[in-house]
Amino acid sequence: MSNNKTKNPILFFLEQSWLLMVSAILFGALLASLNYAWQPKIKQNEIDKFNRLAGGLLTKAETFETALENIPVDIGKGKTYNVEVKKGLDADGNLVGWAFICEGSGFADKIKLVVGVDAAFEKMAGFGVLSSNETPGFGDKITIKDGFFQSQYKGAPVAELTLSKIGDADKIDSEIIAISGATVTSEAVVKIFNTFLLPIKENMKEAGLLK
Amino acid sequence: MSSETSLNKTFFAGIWDNNPVLRLLLGMCPTLAVTAAVKPALTMGLSVIFVLLFSNIVVSLLRHQLKPHVRILMFTLTIATAVTIADLALKAYLPEMSDKLGPYIPLIIVNCIIIGRAEACASKNGLVVSIVDAIGMGLGFTITLCVLAGIRELLATGKIFEAQVMPDAFVPWAGMGMPVGAFITLGLLLGLVNIVSRKKA
Repeated sequence: MSNNKTKNPILFFLEQSWLLMVSAILFGALLASLNYAWQPKIKQNEIDKFNRLAGGLLTKAETFETALENIPVDIGKGKTYNVEVKKGLDADGNLVGWAFICEGSGFADKIKLVVGVDAAFEKMAGFGVLSSNETPGFGDKITIKDGFFQSQYKGAPVAELTLSKIGDADKIDSEIIAISGATVTSEAVVKIFNTFLLPIKENMKEAGLLK
Repeated sequence: MSSETSLNKTFFAGIWDNNPVLRLLLGMCPTLAVTAAVKPALTMGLSVIFVLLFSNIVVSLLRHQLKPHVRILMFTLTIATAVTIADLALKAYLPEMSDKLGPYIPLIIVNCIIIGRAEACASKNGLVVSIVDAIGMGLGFTITLCVLAGIRELLATGKIFEAQVMPDAFVPWAGMGMPVGAFITLGLLLGLVNIVSRKKA
């Protein structure tokens, strides 16, 4: 200790921490270079996943292009979520529908959906689950492609949806029948649709993308 | 004791005698969270092996330069770097698995096994011993996770590695795929290991 007292404090600091500082710079450089090398692939994976899910909803779409960015949607508690709407184009470049990502709180974690709607933004083409962590065997039934829950959204009107515990799931209308044992997850999906669809439609009308 | 015997002992200590999950009860968070199916459990195990190897190698190489009061910072920096590399690699090359494992890959940073081995082994031993220790401990962790996940996936879905194993008449036990299934299976496995250990002693 007596030695430390006589030393220049800056020299003492450098002597004690040089390894940490050099390591931080080297590890930082390693991470930066790996991030630089892999980021295009990571971005491409995200685009591929969106295209795969959106392409499954708008089956005639060959490509997706950004139509409108940064649509602010109020998701409650003073928070907004910026939505990017993409237009689905067929092989001849004709508009076949719209697709976008939206999210909300589920039973266990956030639920992130890719939603597809028709070209007139009148009827839904359905949804695909981008990420969710709902209860296996119950809430995770929302991820079953063409399962009873997802099928109810195909062709449903773009309007305020309601959730019911009983009813005819084959009847396509604005009434969605909940998954037994997963009411919270079912409510969360319906809430996501009700939070996002109409505000996005309004914004698109204002931007002149819809008649 | 020859160095070869010592290395064998170090290697098998991680797999059985000091198995991080079954004997030291470390890394409980991923053990319970990612063992609903074998694929994510195996991915988690391999990620932990990579992080353990990276951390043990770096710490062992720098052990003579480490000042006592900055060593924990150095361990954390090394582990965080390795975990970020593993996370980026999964996002780039196994995106579906990365989605499935969610926050549990970044959470390897706070896994006690990694910092525990850096402190208990790598900061006191040479490179070879540290590498053998990392592989032994990592394999012990991975094997345990896969056994746990195998039991849970089989009973929860009738499948193993997503391939149907049980007959069509089998009714899946949905509870085994939930947290309750993780606690029950881990508890039974720990009990079984204790019985085997007592008989051996």
